[in-house]
Amino acid sequence: MREIMFKDAINEAMTEEMTRDETVYLIGEGVSRDPWGTSEGFFEKFGEERIRDSAISETAIVGSCVGAALAGYRPVANIMFSDFLAIAADETLNKAAKWRFANGGKVTIPMVIRAPIGGYSKTGPEHSQCTEAFVWHAPGLKIAIPSTPYDAKGLLKTAIRDNNPVIYFEHKALMGTTGEVPEEEYTIPFGVADIKREGKDVTIVATAFMVQMSLGVADRLQKEKGISVEVIDPRTLEPLDIDTIVASVKKTKRVVIVDEDVLRCGVTGEIAAQIMENAFDFLDASIQRVAAANMPIAGGFLEQYILPQPKDIAAAIERVLS
Amino acid sequence: MKITKEQMIKLYTDMVRVRKLDETLINGLFAGKVQGFYHSQQGQEAPGVAACALLSKDDYLFYTHRGHGVGKTLPKGVPARAIIAEHYGKATGSCGGMAGFHTCEIELGIPGLGGTVGGEFTLASGMGIAAKMRGKGQVVASFLGDGATGRGTFHTAMLMAANWKLPVVWICENNLYGQFVPISIAYPKENIADLAFGYGIPGVIVDGQDVVAVYETVSTAVDRARAGDGPSLIECKTYRFRPHLEGFPDFIGAGLRNEEEVETWKKRDPIELFRKGLLEQGILTGADIERIDHEAAEEMEEAEKFASESPIPDPEILKTALYAD
Repeated sequence: MREIMFKDAINEAMTEEMTRDETVYLIGEGVSRDPWGTSEGFFEKFGEERIRDSAISETAIVGSCVGAALAGYRPVANIMFSDFLAIAADETLNKAAKWRFANGGKVTIPMVIRAPIGGYSKTGPEHSQCTEAFVWHAPGLKIAIPSTPYDAKGLLKTAIRDNNPVIYFEHKALMGTTGEVPEEEYTIPFGVADIKREGKDVTIVATAFMVQMSLGVADRLQKEKGISVEVIDPRTLEPLDIDTIVASVKKTKRVVIVDEDVLRCGVTGEIAAQIMENAFDFLDASIQRVAAANMPIAGGFLEQYILPQPKDIAAAIERVLS
Repeated sequence: MKITKEQMIKLYTDMVRVRKLDETLINGLFAGKVQGFYHSQQGQEAPGVAACALLSKDDYLFYTHRGHGVGKTLPKGVPARAIIAEHYGKATGSCGGMAGFHTCEIELGIPGLGGTVGGEFTLASGMGIAAKMRGKGQVVASFLGDGATGRGTFHTAMLMAANWKLPVVWICENNLYGQFVPISIAYPKENIADLAFGYGIPGVIVDGQDVVAVYETVSTAVDRARAGDGPSLIECKTYRFRPHLEGFPDFIGAGLRNEEEVETWKKRDPIELFRKGLLEQGILTGADIERIDHEAAEEMEEAEKFASESPIPDPEILKTALYAD
């Protein structure tokens, strides 16, 4: 099977969906030339009506998507850095998330906000965050978060076809990574986790770049210490496939949850609580969490002390096994 | 476009109906039937009625909390019973009782409302994007009060609409107060229409108590939008006769609103002014006036009765209202 890059998988998903459905369009700051190369060929193929370079107005970028969706179109916004979602907090958490419910469930809001996430590039506190928890807390949004090119393409196509507002998190550090992607068209349903690596001693639940980091640690621990780690990638946080996670926990009885965002009030806490509620009697050890320190992400040489590192994941695995 | 006699009679009739609906909701609130609250729009009937006479159901409209939109939704075709039932929290309400005061009738071009002042501006621009791409000459009417101009979204939405020549008509009802805050301390100039200058779009001031003047002004803006020439900002100088919120004193700042000012503006009741003109021109007779009044009262009575007798919502709706299939 051919291997393509994560950014090209996103490009293919967008191109296919925009070709298939003329109501799909892209809007954002400089989307005709995306910094991570996901927009190659768009402007030539689809023109300025459907590839809309906006002024620097996140509130209008996100808010206009809600309006266009209400008016029968299927907009896709690229917010450039997920940190900027905070600028459009009302539009994301109050309008996109709540409009359908507040207005009696009578309208649909099919829109996607593509939000590039992630650090490890030393670009500082407001260009490095993973803001999944920020939006997961608002009922009414769906959340997709791929870790491979295969997942990136399949999830984005599903996101665009979903009749609800979807936040699609695309990790910047994954953009150049490669993986197998079929030529034939396919989609990935929401709410279906993927077992990225089978194992029997410990379950890791991780998303996006942390999946890749965890896989690296798992391979090393297998080789060096014969520890068998299972890695579960939820692929979507809302809806969350808790059943696949629980099945793994019932098998291994030990869990480490890995998230690149701040520890407190984050994704790890929610998943840990759900595991406890569903599989408490199967746990042989308390749930371990690996996440960023409770502080902004410093730039430069200090970033490494704040964001999760492979040694943190290895240490958590040792703790849960001890 | 010169207004016809039939159009003038419709404008008058709709203003009377809106006023009656406003009164009905106030009565319903004090009778304990309105579940939430009510912000009366009496005195401001003209802008919504005038604008809706120029819009079809294919055109989109965002209203505000003032009157909970009755000055716009009723003339745009929403049945009074759906509006009252929503306020009564009933299952037959426009939002199935989910919102308590919103009106959502997307087939009539009314997508609903959010809960933050100025929260819909960017959505209006988005509907403008869709309208422009669809290419069928649809227009978006986006109403606002003077207070909403404080929102950054007013700027970003206007900027987007001006940049992309979106078919949005912004209609500001400047009633001199944003909740309890007088415009004199919330905005450093007298005319909100001046803001249009910064975006290179027309900014027009009109007497908001003169329904025909508003009709003619909005008509120009709607034609411009339909022709693909972009947005406009219209400022209607108007006034609300009752307090910001029903059941509360007429607060302004740390004190109360000046009664003399209220009495002076009440002399320019848009319905009375227009009635006088229509009688003088012989377009309507005294008997016509009475009939219109009577029919409006009957309409609202029937709608109120319907709302009173409607059931409260089944909580089952909560299961399907969050996500669409």
